[in-house]
Amino acid sequence: MIIRSSKQQPKNTLLKRFPVSHNFGVAPASRTEPGKSWPAPASATCIKAIKVYRYDPDSGGNPRLDTFHVDLDRCGPMLLDALIKIKNEVDSTLTFRRSCREGVCGSCAMNIDGTNWLACTRPLDETADPVTVYPLNNMPVIKDLVPDQTHVFAQYHSVKPWIQTKEPAPPDRERLQSPEEREALNGYYECILCFCCTSGCPSHWWNGERFLGPAALLQAYRWLADSRDEATEERLDALQDPFKLYRCHTILNCTRTCPKGLQPGKAIAEIKRMIVAREH
Amino acid sequence: MATTNRPLAPHIQIYRPQLTSVLSFSHRVTGIALSAGSVLLVIWLITAAAGEQAFYPLQSFLGSWAGLALLFIWTYSLFYHLCNGIRHLLWDSVIGLELASVYLSGWIVVFASAILTAGAWIAASLMAP
Repeated sequence: MIIRSSKQQPKNTLLKRFPVSHNFGVAPASRTEPGKSWPAPASATCIKAIKVYRYDPDSGGNPRLDTFHVDLDRCGPMLLDALIKIKNEVDSTLTFRRSCREGVCGSCAMNIDGTNWLACTRPLDETADPVTVYPLNNMPVIKDLVPDQTHVFAQYHSVKPWIQTKEPAPPDRERLQSPEEREALNGYYECILCFCCTSGCPSHWWNGERFLGPAALLQAYRWLADSRDEATEERLDALQDPFKLYRCHTILNCTRTCPKGLQPGKAIAEIKRMIVAREH
Repeated sequence: MATTNRPLAPHIQIYRPQLTSVLSFSHRVTGIALSAGSVLLVIWLITAAAGEQAFYPLQSFLGSWAGLALLFIWTYSLFYHLCNGIRHLLWDSVIGLELASVYLSGWIVVFASAILTAGAWIAASLMAP
């Protein structure tokens, strides 16, 4: 089936996960164990099961998979509403990031039914039953659904995501762009840094230490494409590296998972083309 | 804050297989199969040059069901890697990276490699003495 937009869910899936063992390559302390089951209130008639990855740094145990049963008649429409309801009414220790609840802040990015998305923009009726919720992949877990994003933000910082100029700004006005020059940034400036793409990228799973990942590279291209930026050569010099850029093998899980419908894969291809073009 | 003992969130163990990642993994696997197949081709040529005693056992193995299955996998790998390689060339020219095009070209690769493999084997069986 043809997927036209990243928000489109597959109608049927042959495999829910790759045919590898649940503990394939997993360090003993990271192995997930079965957890508790929390029943729905006796009065509930429309119940949805939500399996949630739990990790408590203070208890010292392994991560576990708890199952919550939520009364859908007394719950908002989105997955984030269900998580907030669980935190308010069932288990106040459930920990997750959230802020804007409308898909512009990128805080509640998590792995939902095996792909990354924002909990606030994923309706509960578009999820499986039970719906499975993990923290963003391949990141150290601080607690429950809160991953440590220090490394990916450091990678973002490394592409110098700010304007770099050599000429001083005109004394009487801002640095102006034509509408066409501004249009070149469309599809790149909208990134909210939720890191759904980077944590869903197999190449970043295997080489995440050195490969910058789709989110940072999309931002790198956003500044390469900016007509006001004057550090294009320096930026390309910094990116021309077998690991930082060229570990991208055009798998395109990034474009498939982006909650904002952006195309990190295309941005990376544009960078690769710029590097080839300047050598000829 | 201690960061050393934190568990790592699972990735390949739980991520949903999608056309994007499955075709990419298949490209790697068929590439490895092609390398092994070209070694087999060289061995076949060496035994052919070495004479009938060396050639006959390998040739009869390749004519058996197991040998034919191996050759079938090899031809499929060849056509899959070829078709997906063309897709990669287009991507390198920044063509077809929109999600709908990625899925369309992905399914085209899946069906084209199957049709080419079937066609090659039908042609081979028609030309066989």
